[in-house]
Amino acid sequence: MNSRFSPFRAAFLVLIISGLLCTGCQSTNQTSILRYGLTLSPSGLDPHINASAELGIPLHSVYDTLIVRHGDTGEFLPSLALAWHISADGLVYTFNLRQDVHFHDGTPFNAHAAVANFEYVVNPEHHSQKAAAMLGPYQKAEAVDDYSLQIHLNEPFSPLLDSLSQVYLGMASPIALEQWGPGEYQFHQVGTGPYRFIEYIPNDHITLERFADYAWGPAVYQNETAKIERIEFQFYEDLATRALALERGEVDIIGEISPQDALRLSSHEEFGLFAVPIPGQPLEFFFNTELAPTDDLLVRQALVTGVDRTRIIQTLFGDLSPVSKGPLSAQSFESLLQEDNPSDGNSPIELLERSGWVDTDDDGIREKDQRELVLNLISPPWGSNPEVAQLIKVDWESLGVIVNLEVASSFGTLKQIETEGQYHAIGLNFFGTDPDLLRSFFASDGVYNWSKYHSTDLDYLLINAASETDMSMRNTFYRQAIAHISEQALVLPIRDYVNLIVHKNTLSNLHFSAQGWFPYLIDLELES
Amino acid sequence: MVSLPYRSRTRILTQLLQRLGLGFLTAFAALTLTFFILRLIGTDPVDSLLAQGLTSAEQAESVRQELGLDQPLLTQYVEYLSGLLRGDFGISLYTQRPVLQTILEQFRWTVELALTGLVIGILSGLAMGVTAAWWENRFIGSFAATLASLLTALPVAFTGILALWFTRDLGISGSKIVMPASVLGLSISGAIARLVYSNLLESLHGPYILAAQARGIQRSFRLLWHALRPILPALVSLIALEAAFLFAGTVVTETVFSRPGLGRLMVRAILDGDYQITQGLVALAALFYTASHIIADWLALMFDPRLRETA
Repeated sequence: MNSRFSPFRAAFLVLIISGLLCTGCQSTNQTSILRYGLTLSPSGLDPHINASAELGIPLHSVYDTLIVRHGDTGEFLPSLALAWHISADGLVYTFNLRQDVHFHDGTPFNAHAAVANFEYVVNPEHHSQKAAAMLGPYQKAEAVDDYSLQIHLNEPFSPLLDSLSQVYLGMASPIALEQWGPGEYQFHQVGTGPYRFIEYIPNDHITLERFADYAWGPAVYQNETAKIERIEFQFYEDLATRALALERGEVDIIGEISPQDALRLSSHEEFGLFAVPIPGQPLEFFFNTELAPTDDLLVRQALVTGVDRTRIIQTLFGDLSPVSKGPLSAQSFESLLQEDNPSDGNSPIELLERSGWVDTDDDGIREKDQRELVLNLISPPWGSNPEVAQLIKVDWESLGVIVNLEVASSFGTLKQIETEGQYHAIGLNFFGTDPDLLRSFFASDGVYNWSKYHSTDLDYLLINAASETDMSMRNTFYRQAIAHISEQALVLPIRDYVNLIVHKNTLSNLHFSAQGWFPYLIDLELES
Repeated sequence: MVSLPYRSRTRILTQLLQRLGLGFLTAFAALTLTFFILRLIGTDPVDSLLAQGLTSAEQAESVRQELGLDQPLLTQYVEYLSGLLRGDFGISLYTQRPVLQTILEQFRWTVELALTGLVIGILSGLAMGVTAAWWENRFIGSFAATLASLLTALPVAFTGILALWFTRDLGISGSKIVMPASVLGLSISGAIARLVYSNLLESLHGPYILAAQARGIQRSFRLLWHALRPILPALVSLIALEAAFLFAGTVVTETVFSRPGLGRLMVRAILDGDYQITQGLVALAALFYTASHIIADWLALMFDPRLRETA
């Protein structure tokens, strides 16, 4: 055989090339497999122990919670608990549980299983990062009978219902919890939700499969059982690669896309854009009230009114993100907020001059007592904060302020800067569905009281709101607290956080839980 | 393999043992520095651990006590070292799993990527270097030399995104081995090509090449056997160094191509302030760097009789 292109050689070549190409081919069975792009690879995936919001995207459909919160109305609805009752003193919560529920491993869900879950969460050896704290002044849980559960508190704690509606307190199989324990359970999770947990390879993927027996979904679900057979989650931590993952066909849906990519992709017929408001705090900066010159209310008011928030948002996010109205986002908390205007109509220049900061030597920088007006502005590295901080810097500089901007590399660095205390404004925000979120940030002993503000009036409002079971009274406390925070110009709120999700148009019926991050996977439909 | 006289072998063995000792000292120093740097200027793991928990300062302090982080630094250091001697790298603060197990699970992904990248890097580097030297004054030679310089200068983050962009319609998954390994391999190929090119130019004008030519030995054989052989020691040393740097390169490659591996584990551990994982990875990296240098030294001695004589 002397031909250089013999059929044998050609076939071999084709085999090699197709083998190489197919190394990267994805499955084409799009009728039953959804590929979901996550943006953060969590350090741990056990919702009872770890705290990441990202873990809830898959696990929200692996676990059911005792109750659920409606995304639009905010009201609590039955889920694993058909009904509940709060004692008059607010110390005992009694839940009547469903009797037709079983875990993915076949074991029944009952009050004893629920008690085992709470004991697992509060066990100090398990170092729960979030779930244990969400239980507040928890004392104990007990099974009154097989299907009646009681949770006892040491003091009234109104955010408990909200906590119980979250995936971090989702009900897991006690047998699996005991068999695997903290550390290993994250790889062998067993819940009662519409999807079964199949596999988790850290930094690579999470796989869920439809749970065919599921028939006890809460009213927030539209379907009784899931339509999509299998869901594979992959992690795309680099912002620059997220839109590409969608365009390359590696995923069908991905969140936290940059506004530029979101607008570009949504102009294609192939893709759809979903801008999901995330409840909690807006992207905001806390003023240090213990360090001059931000210890002066007039200076803080000038700095709030001196920032053109609409322009900043238009520049960075276009129309995709709303201007914040206060220390809580308008999503879920609209009724508690009022348009913040701490300056009483005064211009920032007037406010600064009234506080004694005047440009005496005409060099463009204000001085007082022969000291220049210098501010240290600290930005977190996430959520477009650095870009926003850069534009805030420009606005403040136009008022005659020298601004030293520093971008912290991580939350730990941010906390370190806060501990040292040499900042005038520092960015921080958390997500949450209960206004009790404010207590950690504005109560005198709040763990994130980064304004370093101490007021017995504000403490009274926040502490009473947390223990008040009457919703109307509770909201009154929060309205007064928010008005106080706004009057004292403790924060510079910028924008309400919006998660920009882009999906292929073959995917439909996308809607989200009250927490904003978590899609109802059971209702998703995927065209072939 | 070349047979060595007894005295020469003893000297080489002594030198290798010295290198080994030095290597262990380096690894020990790296571990010690990492231990103290993390604790003195790094992130407080409890702050990070509770970042989203919105818990109280008392709870944070209690976690700090349970983890032994309230102990004096020296006590923590002695406990850490004694754990290492028992093969206990500790427990991850976040996953609550043994550090060694967590690292080993991610290890194979990085080894797969780094080794494939290394093979691609060596082959493409050799090809570019030989092409540039052999066709020195022709377009193809200049092109290969320019490409080598370009590949040395371009960061993996850039070439990675570029590769993903240009192949977006081909249906090739970015996270599989072919594309990330190629990008990683090409990032080291430039340095290899430039070393091959410059050494080969010198070597091609050596008297032994003229002698080989005079003996009527074929041109390609002269290149591959007579001209390439003298540059092998330098090439092996560079490859050993590049292999060590490849592990650093996997940090970016794994992130850009969304692959699991030690690089991403390291980034996450540093950001989270997970001391135990970071220390475990530094220990592994220090051992790997040390081993690769010792192997490079040994291979250079094996390949180059001149080095053996001066050993």
